[in-house]
Amino acid sequence: MKLYEYIIRRLILMIFVLFGISVLVFYLARGFPSAMDPVAPYITSRMTSEQIAEVRRIHGFDRPLYEQYVFWLRDVFRGDWGLTGIWAQGRPVLEVFFLSFPYTVQLSIAATILTVGIGLPLGIISAVRNNKIPDHISRIIALTGYSTPSYWFGFILQLVFFYYFTLWGLPHLPSTGASGMEGAVARVTGMPVLDGIIGGNIAYTVDALAHLVLPAFSLSFISLGFLARIVRASMLDVLRQDYIILARSKGLKERVVIYRHALKNGLIPAVTLTGLFFAGLLGGAIITEFVFALPGVGQLSIQAVMQGDSNFILLYTLVLATIIVTANLIVDIAYVFLDPRIKY
Amino acid sequence: MKKAKREVRTGEWSARWADFKYTIFLLRKNPLVMLGSILSIFFIILALTANYIVDPNLAGPRGYPDNSYPFERRYQWSANSPINWGPGVSLYRGPDVLFLGTDGWGRDMLKMIILSIPVDIENAVIIVLAAASFGTLLGALAGYVGGVLDEAVLRVTDIFFAFPGLVLALVFAALLGRSIPTLRLAILLVWWPPYVRLMRGQILGEKEKAYVEALRALGAGHLRILFRHIIPNAIYPILVQATLDFGGVILTFSALMFLGFSPTPSLPELGNLAADGYQHIFEAPWLIVFPGLTMLIIALAFNLVGDGLRDVLDPRLRR
Repeated sequence: MKLYEYIIRRLILMIFVLFGISVLVFYLARGFPSAMDPVAPYITSRMTSEQIAEVRRIHGFDRPLYEQYVFWLRDVFRGDWGLTGIWAQGRPVLEVFFLSFPYTVQLSIAATILTVGIGLPLGIISAVRNNKIPDHISRIIALTGYSTPSYWFGFILQLVFFYYFTLWGLPHLPSTGASGMEGAVARVTGMPVLDGIIGGNIAYTVDALAHLVLPAFSLSFISLGFLARIVRASMLDVLRQDYIILARSKGLKERVVIYRHALKNGLIPAVTLTGLFFAGLLGGAIITEFVFALPGVGQLSIQAVMQGDSNFILLYTLVLATIIVTANLIVDIAYVFLDPRIKY
Repeated sequence: MKKAKREVRTGEWSARWADFKYTIFLLRKNPLVMLGSILSIFFIILALTANYIVDPNLAGPRGYPDNSYPFERRYQWSANSPINWGPGVSLYRGPDVLFLGTDGWGRDMLKMIILSIPVDIENAVIIVLAAASFGTLLGALAGYVGGVLDEAVLRVTDIFFAFPGLVLALVFAALLGRSIPTLRLAILLVWWPPYVRLMRGQILGEKEKAYVEALRALGAGHLRILFRHIIPNAIYPILVQATLDFGGVILTFSALMFLGFSPTPSLPELGNLAADGYQHIFEAPWLIVFPGLTMLIIALAFNLVGDGLRDVLDPRLRR
């Protein structure tokens, strides 16, 4: 199979997956009795019950679910994703979502950088000093990472780095929110750090970065453990190969063997997995945004779920699913370029 | 004839037993795995005996049986308060020292944590067992039968893999209602697909091996080959995954509880206990610190065991 054939096959599968998700979520979000009535955002207090029935008929909310799904799909292809419930003042779903989405992206990028920056060295140390003290320490850090309740860890970080540091008179980090200088620069991308750089306001950028440190670390703490374990496993695999034994036996220094020879092949899974981590962190940001009161889509999605707002949940899950599936595809293609032994 | 058959069987079981003993030997060499095992066993014993150590009625809506607790003072934290709610201080009219302070309802935090351990561990056991057995069965069938069934199962798991797991669990939980069985169902629904993939991959590797062909030549049926021979040979990665998932399930379950899906606000459950405290994190940090710490230790204990198992059972790393 040629590469482009493979990509086309995967894209067709992707459409199938997105279709499946939309059907599943649609039936879940509209079908259960506790779900929000989709007609709610269209109603004002002055409307008569006949008018409400008319609105219901126009939008097809009085029809069976499968017909409603077709209506919804038709509207989506026209670019109309519907309205949110009262919790977001009945504004269009697209507007509500994409006002907050850049912030979640910024948080996930920061967390991905931390994941790779800490997880990679941990994994390498663990593999090189296999079953020695450094391996045990790195193993404890990695396992603690994915044994930690993420909401709890966020609060502990706030408690220590904001509250106690303030009490002790140390320079402290802000606890909640995305920025302490709201409105100081014009909104361009919606990511506070990037907006500060574009607006040329250094104080704003620094402040936004300070607000980002604790949430990003809290979010990355789980995934960096996973990454460290994956890097360790793949490095151990590579270190047992014949060409490493050859490199050692021809008298190369251990440092050269590891960093020049082993690392190149050992890091292939880690490099490709970074894309998956980014996609996973976008979904994992829900709890972090809740804990740190951040203006991202995760925070909104909790509200939407609690209110049974099917339109918002559908958009949220479909956007995240698209990103996850695309990241998977990119990872698989990246393998081919990074590792010439793999063919499709 | 009958005798010969029995001999074959004992031979097989003694081989499995020797393998098991060797695994235990390898595990015992790793101090972290030992620590994890001891902690896991401790928590399991605690979960089984918690209701005998602490009177479960204490978790009831009125807390202490004789109403000696000032319930109306709940959430009135202040530095000048005549009552110190923090750890290690004895409450007025209360006979016992509260080693970990009180929870949001004025109950003894230590006792509530002990009472909540069986709830969390029971849930994790049920969810992991259900997810692993369902996923394993489906994956084994898909891998063994192949063809249309395989393709269909794979596409369904694709859909679940593309979801952010927590979001799906949240949606399920919100729509199914707030009770422990529905929360279990919600987590189960997002937890089975990895087992399908894992088992299917294993089966695809196993079913091409010579012993399967030999069995077929001997006239063994498909069910016998699959359940009696292939699955036992392919089960180790599933065991490792299940051990590692144990901690993850506890964390996910308590996260749902923390986000407000508890059936009753006073239910002693680690996430629910922590949820009582997050608005008072700076005035009363022990409300959230201790339940979270307990959760961390439980999850860490099982993850240490799972991680050690993975190293030991991996044929490439096994020496």
